[in-house]
Amino acid sequence: MFSLIFRGLATGSIYSLTAVGIVLILSTTNVMNFAQGDVGMFLTYIAFLFIARNVPPYLTLPVVVVAGILLGVVLDRGLMIRARRSSHLGMVMITLALTMILEGIVATFFGTIPLYFPPIAQGDPLIIGNVIMDRQNILTIGVALLIFLILFIILYRTKIGIAARSIADDEYGATILGVPINRITTFIWALSFGIAGIAGLMTAPRLSLEPSFMIVVQLKAFIAAVLGGMGSITGAIFGGLILGVLENFIAYYIPSIKESFSLILVVVVLLFLPNGIFGRREARRA
Amino acid sequence: MKKKVISIVLGILVLITPIILRSKPSLISYLNLVMIYAIAVEGLNLLLGVAGQISLGHAAFMAIGGYTSAILVMNLHLPSFIGIIAGVIFAAFFGFLIGFPSLRLKGFYLAIATMALSTAITDIIKRLQITGSDHGLMNIPPIKVFNFSFSSEISKYYLFLAFLVLVVILIRNFLRGKGGMALKAMRDSEFGALACGINISYYKILAFVISSALAGLAGALYAHSISYLHPMNFGLGLSIDFLAITIIGGLGTIFGPILGSFLWIILPRFFGARLESMATVLFGVILILVVLFLPRGLYEIVEKFDRILKRPVGEK
Repeated sequence: MFSLIFRGLATGSIYSLTAVGIVLILSTTNVMNFAQGDVGMFLTYIAFLFIARNVPPYLTLPVVVVAGILLGVVLDRGLMIRARRSSHLGMVMITLALTMILEGIVATFFGTIPLYFPPIAQGDPLIIGNVIMDRQNILTIGVALLIFLILFIILYRTKIGIAARSIADDEYGATILGVPINRITTFIWALSFGIAGIAGLMTAPRLSLEPSFMIVVQLKAFIAAVLGGMGSITGAIFGGLILGVLENFIAYYIPSIKESFSLILVVVVLLFLPNGIFGRREARRA
Repeated sequence: MKKKVISIVLGILVLITPIILRSKPSLISYLNLVMIYAIAVEGLNLLLGVAGQISLGHAAFMAIGGYTSAILVMNLHLPSFIGIIAGVIFAAFFGFLIGFPSLRLKGFYLAIATMALSTAITDIIKRLQITGSDHGLMNIPPIKVFNFSFSSEISKYYLFLAFLVLVVILIRNFLRGKGGMALKAMRDSEFGALACGINISYYKILAFVISSALAGLAGALYAHSISYLHPMNFGLGLSIDFLAITIIGGLGTIFGPILGSFLWIILPRFFGARLESMATVLFGVILILVVLFLPRGLYEIVEKFDRILKRPVGEK
C-alpha cells in the first residue's frame, strides 16, 4: 500500500516536472508547448552519447541541463520571436515541427530500436518497515523537490521571476511598466527546456530509450496541468503527483482500464472541474 | 478565361492520369493514398484553419472509422457501403464525446483530450481480440457495389476521386453557409462573434464532429483499400503529420490539403525507405519555413500564380 503510494509519487514527480515546464511556457507566452517531452527525449539521447563513452551517469545531469538551456535560447531567439509577430497558431505549430525534427534526427542517427539507459542511482532498494523504496525513485523525488524549490525561489524571490509572473498576469501591462518581454520569455524557454532534460533523464531508466518514449509522459503532464487548472505552477506540481499516485492504484487494482484511464480522467475533469483542482476561479466557459 | 482553360486542363489531367500510369499500379496506389489523406486533412483544415482548434486525434478517428467498417464487413458480412457509413457515424460519435467537454472551454483543451484519445485508442485496439490485437487486421475485403468490386488500383482511384470531390463540394457549401460564416467570425474575433449572438461552443463542436466524421471516412476507405490495419499506423505521429500537412498545404483553403497531401506522400519516395526519418526532419523544417514565410501555405504560391494569370495582357 505505502510502496504503491511511494512509486506513484516517483512517477508523479516526473509528470510534475514535465507539466511545470509546459505551464511555465503556457502562462508567459500563451504557447502550448507540444515539444516539451521530445526536447527531454532529445537531451536524454545526448546524455546517452556521453554514457556510451563511459561517463558516469550522474555527470550527465549538468550536461543535459546546459544543453537544454542552449536549445531553449536558440529556439526562442531564432524562431519564436520571429513567429510571435505573425501568428499565435504558428508558434504552436513550430513546437509541433520541433517534435518532428527532433524525433527524425534521433531516428536517423540512433535508429528506433529501444536502448538501455542505466539508472543514475543503482543498488538495492531501501526497505523501511514494509515500504520498499527503489533508489532511482528516491532520487527522482528528491531531484524533483529540489527543482520545485529552485523554481519557487526564482519565481517569487528574484526580479526575473517577478517579471515573468507579471507577463503571465498581463502582458500589455508588463510591457508598459518596462518589463523586457523578449528577454524574459527567452529565459523561460531556457528554464523549461532545462527542466525537460532532467525529466527525460529521470524517465529513461524506467522505460527504455527510444524516439517516442517521452510522448506518454508528455500526455500525462498535459493531464496533470489540466488537473492543476492550467496555468498555475503549484497546480501542475500537485496535479502531477496526484495523477502519478492515482495511476499506480488504477494499474494495480483495476488493470482493465489502465489504458483508457487518462482519457476518462480528462473527460471527467473537463466536464465537472473545468478550473482544475487548484485553478483560480475564472470565467473560462465560453 | 485563361483560368477556366487551366482548370479544365487540370481536370482532364486528373481524370486521365491513371490511364497514363496504368502500367505502374504502384504509382496509382500512391495517388490513392494522397486522396485518402486529403479527405482526412480537409476535415482537419475545417477545424484548424476555420475554427482555429488543434486536434491531435485525427489518426485515432481514422482508426475508429477504419476498424468499424472493416469489422462490420468481415464479421457481420454487411455490404461495404453500410460499413463505411457506420464507420463515419461512429467516428463522428467519438468526436462528439471528446469535443463536447473540451470545446466548451477556452484554450488548448481539445488538443489535450484528442491526444489522450489517440494514445488510448491504439492501446485499446492492441488489447481487443476483435480488432486483431497486436497482429493487426488482415484481409479486409475491397469495397463492393452490387457485384462490382473496387479491387484494382485504377477503379479505386476513380472511387476515391469521387469521394474527394464530394467532400470538397460539401466543405465548400458548409463554408459558404451559416456555419462557415459563424466559424470565420469566431476565428477573427471570438468576442465579436459572441456579441453577435453566435453560439460559439455549438459551432466549434459542429466543426469538430464534421471533421472527425471525415477522418472516419478516410479511415474506412483506407481500410478497404490497403486491406490491412495495424494500430501502430494510427499513432500520435500520424495526427501530427496531418496537422503539418494542413499548415504546409494552406490553412483555411480548400485545395491546400490536396496540395499538402500530395507533397507529403510523394516527396519521401525520392528519399527511399532507408532515409524516411530524414524526410520527417525535412518536413519539420518545411513546416517552420511555411509558418514563418508563407502563412497561407503552399497554396499562397498558387494564388500568386493565379493573380498573374488574371492580369490583363500587356499590363505589368
